[in-house]
Amino acid sequence: MTAPPGELRVFAEYDRDFVETADVVVVGSGPCGAVVAKELACAGRSVVIVEEGPPFTPAEFEIDGARSMARTMREGGLRATRGYVMPTLQAICLGGGSLVNSAICVRPPDFVFDGWSEHFELERTSGKDLAPHFEAVSGFLGIAPTPDDVQGPRNLLFKAGCDALGIPAEPIARNVRGCRGSGECFTGCRSRAKQSMDISYVPAAMRAGARVLTSVQVQQIRASGSRVSGVSGQVVEPFTGRRSHRVQIDAKAVVLSAGVMATPVLLQKSGNLANRSGQVGRNLQFHPGTMVTGVFPDPVHPEFGATQGYQSLHFLREGFKLETFWSPPTALALRMPGMGIALKRRLAELPRSATWDAILSCHRSLGTVRARSGASLDPLLTWEFHPEDVKILGRAMSVLAEILFAAGAEKVIPGVHGLPDELHTPEEARILATREWRATDVTSGSTHVFCTTRMHGDPAKGVVDELGRCHDFDNLWIADTGVFPRCTSVNPMLTGMALAHRTAKAI
Amino acid sequence: MIGWVGISLGAAAAYAAFRVFAGYPARTGFATLARREIAFVDAAADTLYPQGAGLPSGVEARIAFQLDGYLRLVPPRMRLLMRLLFFLMEHATLFLPAPGPRGRRRFSSLAPEQRAAVLEGWRTSRRVPRRLVFTSLRALLTNGYVADPGVLRALGLAPFAIETPVCEADLLYPPIGRPKSEIRHRAVTAPSDGRPLDLAGPRHPAYVGSER
Repeated sequence: MTAPPGELRVFAEYDRDFVETADVVVVGSGPCGAVVAKELACAGRSVVIVEEGPPFTPAEFEIDGARSMARTMREGGLRATRGYVMPTLQAICLGGGSLVNSAICVRPPDFVFDGWSEHFELERTSGKDLAPHFEAVSGFLGIAPTPDDVQGPRNLLFKAGCDALGIPAEPIARNVRGCRGSGECFTGCRSRAKQSMDISYVPAAMRAGARVLTSVQVQQIRASGSRVSGVSGQVVEPFTGRRSHRVQIDAKAVVLSAGVMATPVLLQKSGNLANRSGQVGRNLQFHPGTMVTGVFPDPVHPEFGATQGYQSLHFLREGFKLETFWSPPTALALRMPGMGIALKRRLAELPRSATWDAILSCHRSLGTVRARSGASLDPLLTWEFHPEDVKILGRAMSVLAEILFAAGAEKVIPGVHGLPDELHTPEEARILATREWRATDVTSGSTHVFCTTRMHGDPAKGVVDELGRCHDFDNLWIADTGVFPRCTSVNPMLTGMALAHRTAKAI
Repeated sequence: MIGWVGISLGAAAAYAAFRVFAGYPARTGFATLARREIAFVDAAADTLYPQGAGLPSGVEARIAFQLDGYLRLVPPRMRLLMRLLFFLMEHATLFLPAPGPRGRRRFSSLAPEQRAAVLEGWRTSRRVPRRLVFTSLRALLTNGYVADPGVLRALGLAPFAIETPVCEADLLYPPIGRPKSEIRHRAVTAPSDGRPLDLAGPRHPAYVGSER
């Protein structure tokens, strides 16, 4: 029953319990796991990738946002934190979140890594140390700035507004080849332009001999003393999650790339492994996001253009990053205030609208990930929005409104409880900067998640060392954004992949 | 005597239960939503998205039908939470009555202006949990509303028609749930050339025409 090198196994082909053996088993096929698997396979190691979700082909992409999320996201895309209630997402498909993200690849400025090194006793994690790893990943994926001809008015208006205010802005670098501006990154790229892991790193790993087991849920890491011997789990049916045959994978090393919310749950369910520091599942951080919509006098044709094509990193040290945004209208409509005819009139303005977002660096806002009782790997998440970070949210929304007006918007829709539904002048919009903000005045969401198995130079304060090896084990590694000691202030995928590249070299 | 009191109380309770939980019209073509839930969703859909403003109404957009399909896709725990939300909103007016005469009825039995007043109360409440409940309901109904091709077509936001190239990965992956012997493609085609889509160009066939 052992799969031959380079083989992919799918749900329909499992007909009995089985055992696989490998040098390395990688749990999760998202951006970090895929990089580790490909690098190790290319180095001649026998690798098995285990992915709970199925592979999606374009025929299975759902254009409708809600249906797409129900099929590609855990908990149907309806996961939220407790405490401060904030929606958050985790993909369940081959390629992980890369299948349904907007392909943003931003390298954090050096001050981010300097902060990590200073506060978490890291000696080899400066921007310079990581540069070769960033370059390797960038070269493989063909990461490049979004070209002007697929920006579309929605993105170029952001540039115009920033230019008018003297705010530096730039095209977003993305892992895309041949983008046509369909704006469908979040539901799967029908142009096959986005280099998501399922069409880039995973096939490359398979060419190098990696075996891929899809629709297999890892439930247990097998450990004895300071070593692990593999993982065990079960076959799960796509979408229903029904469990069937038992699977065991014996390996000389285990790499957990199940994501910030599943990796700690897996460790907790395996007997609270790798947790002498007590840090597994703690320090949960997000980049909460917020959006502001501007309505322009002329059509913006927001459905055309790169999903997220322009950004400004100018305010990173203040704690926020600005981006353009497009999504299936589902998500945009959710932020529109009002109901009845007023709501429909606002919806009818969507073709003249541009929505831009800010992601916030929230070092002070922390939470936890805990395993639920029963067999589920879905986590219990708690998180609280720190009052000082809420102030940053207000500042970011104020800047977005300024840029929208500078770009020519005739009104701005902030979507904030207690404020007018529409702000018609920059003067009116100043209330965003001056008001007393409460976290509950606005609905945030976040797909950038960090720190639940953080790296730290001191084994008493972190779960992994700076190469990704668990302090408590010789051969258990973690490669996902959970190892970040702090959030990155910018979109984390590229940093996660660079760190995973370094981890692969260390295994 | 006690027997008559008991019978009277029992009859009153049965009548009250009928008024609260039963008496909904039968509906066909739904696989997941119960008739009570359909009645509530239709009532809420036409309150959030009434006739007017050049866009289909919530009922015309068949929000209940779209949600019926959506509920089938989400995990059981989430499905249960959604049903509890519908139940709560349908019957909350028995305890927090709508303004005006006969306001202490289930939501779907209220007059349109009473329904609007009830939802507006939840939307603008000073209590965060009430606003969260409203936001959740509006999110679900809006999902159903924009899932209707007629709505996106009316908005002018129908997705583009795109010729999808066949890449190496498409030779590796079968349709979900099928064996590899059913992989659709046998050879790759030229990759996307990065030519921008034409705003005046064709739109996705599912969103073209008058069919919903």
